[in-house]
Amino acid sequence: MAAHNQFRTFLIFLIGFLILIISYLMTNSAVQAQETEGYCLSCHNNPDLKMTFPNGETLSLNVSPEMLQHSIHSQQGIECEACHTNIKSYPHPQIDYQNPRELSLAYYASCKKCHSINYDKAHDSIHAKALEAGNLNAPVCTDCHGAHDVRSPNKPRTTISETCRKCHSKIYDEYKSSIHGNALINEENEDVPVCTNCHGVHNIQDPRTAQFRIETPELCAGCHADQELMSKYGLPSDVYNIYKLSWHGMDVAVYKAKWPTIWHESAVCTDCHGVHNILPADNPASSVNPKNLLSTCQKCHPDAGPNWTGAWTGHQKISLERTPYLFYTDLFYSYFAPAVLWMSVIYVILQIIHATVDRFRRNM
Amino acid sequence: MSNAKQSNELIEQLATTERSFIRFTLGQRWEHVIVIISFTILLFTGLPQKYRTTTWSQTILSTPERVEMIRQIHHIAAVVLIAEVIYHLGFALYLLFKRKLSGEMFPTWQDFKDAWQMIKYLLFLSKRKPAFGKYNFEQKFTYWFIFFGIGIMVITGLILWFPIFFTQFLPGGIIPAAKLAHSSEAIVAVIFIITWHVYHNHLERQNLSIFTGRLNEKEYRKFHPLEYQRITGEKPEPNEAGGR
Repeated sequence: MAAHNQFRTFLIFLIGFLILIISYLMTNSAVQAQETEGYCLSCHNNPDLKMTFPNGETLSLNVSPEMLQHSIHSQQGIECEACHTNIKSYPHPQIDYQNPRELSLAYYASCKKCHSINYDKAHDSIHAKALEAGNLNAPVCTDCHGAHDVRSPNKPRTTISETCRKCHSKIYDEYKSSIHGNALINEENEDVPVCTNCHGVHNIQDPRTAQFRIETPELCAGCHADQELMSKYGLPSDVYNIYKLSWHGMDVAVYKAKWPTIWHESAVCTDCHGVHNILPADNPASSVNPKNLLSTCQKCHPDAGPNWTGAWTGHQKISLERTPYLFYTDLFYSYFAPAVLWMSVIYVILQIIHATVDRFRRNM
Repeated sequence: MSNAKQSNELIEQLATTERSFIRFTLGQRWEHVIVIISFTILLFTGLPQKYRTTTWSQTILSTPERVEMIRQIHHIAAVVLIAEVIYHLGFALYLLFKRKLSGEMFPTWQDFKDAWQMIKYLLFLSKRKPAFGKYNFEQKFTYWFIFFGIGIMVITGLILWFPIFFTQFLPGGIIPAAKLAHSSEAIVAVIFIITWHVYHNHLERQNLSIFTGRLNEKEYRKFHPLEYQRITGEKPEPNEAGGR
């Protein structure tokens, strides 16, 4: 009796174990098998496979397993037809695009199925506007992310600048030699901005507008007013706050608050420091190096003479060494003028007290 | 500015029943009016520029055109005030060359002694109020405070208006200093006028002689006994001279 029960228990466990094994194998096979992928590759693995468009351009139809191996989609078991929605069987339905670009522009719409938020953001971008305006070279999803080899876009971080470089190569070259670009590319720095930190990712806006310009100081302040981050590099974090007190900064603050869409010339960070080519002030090539400062000022103040640069307090607090005139003026209005005023006020108060006492005595 | 002609006029005044004495010339009265008007306009067009980040300022300066306009008004009022300063100094120089410049407004050692005596009086340490001449030390202090205040405002204002020109021969560091001084001195001047000047001429007593040009006998005797004595030859009664 006891042995029979033991056998039944063993059988139940065995069946349970088998179910577990089988279900594990089944789920695992779903990730790895890529049944349609294998089926498609049986033709598309051919390196010579291509199609010719009516205008004579050709497009390689070769998709290699090596390429797919890096694709984040393939790794997650997403099959070919997830994107190639119109192709379900062989022979494939006829497609009638005039050239390869037309085909790309039609295909990227399938990204929306899964990535609708970023897809919509991208549709608000300057790139989407350029495309709408007829520039067929304006990038769509696949131009930046790739198609069959989509991988994590920011690993390593240099990938981002490299992606933008494909079209914006001149700006990339400027950026590469800047303090930011140099630290990114040569030191693999994790803190310096890459293109997308300033320009945004999918909803990249036109950086030439009044609005972008007026928001520049806050953009730079995002890092340069961050005390913890700046102290890591021995940089002051009060540059933004001191800028806000300056003529330029106060003007810009008013325009930002009141008239963000009206173009205003008062200098923002990039007017003096440069945009993609920013260098530290002690670099002789920097636009804010003492050697080059006057010509930088002259961009807006063309008649300024050599003494002019002395007017700039250089994001520094008032100090006797750097700004003696300001220092003594500040001293005068911090101590002497208030002292004289207080003396005057106290004198008047004494007069009022005396007059009141006099009146009181007379009435007694 | 006492001269023979003025003394004759004053003697004529003595004959009238309601005796009052000429205290300011027509020119001086006009100068005061011009200073009041330009100063007020400068203040009200300057403050919104000083406090541009506040909401009340941004309500007034609601468009960039208004900012431009308020600056232009400020500049026009400044030109008027500068013209007044030039006239004031020019006329003083003219009198100086003619050897007619009166020393009445210049501070003397007596003023410091008067001030010390006045403070003792106000602190109930002395019963004697100092006897003053034509201008007491309070009035001289007013004049010179405003004189140097306007001087600072005019110089720093011009530097801010024409910074490129001034940095051709002056160091650039004066520009931020001028900005700080212009903006601070304006507030100092306003506080001074509201407390000191308004108290002494409207609260302590209503003294409108800078507008009317005249001060009556009673007030002359009470507040400027030495000058009263000089004009009339009469010795003011001791209690009115400050014996109270």
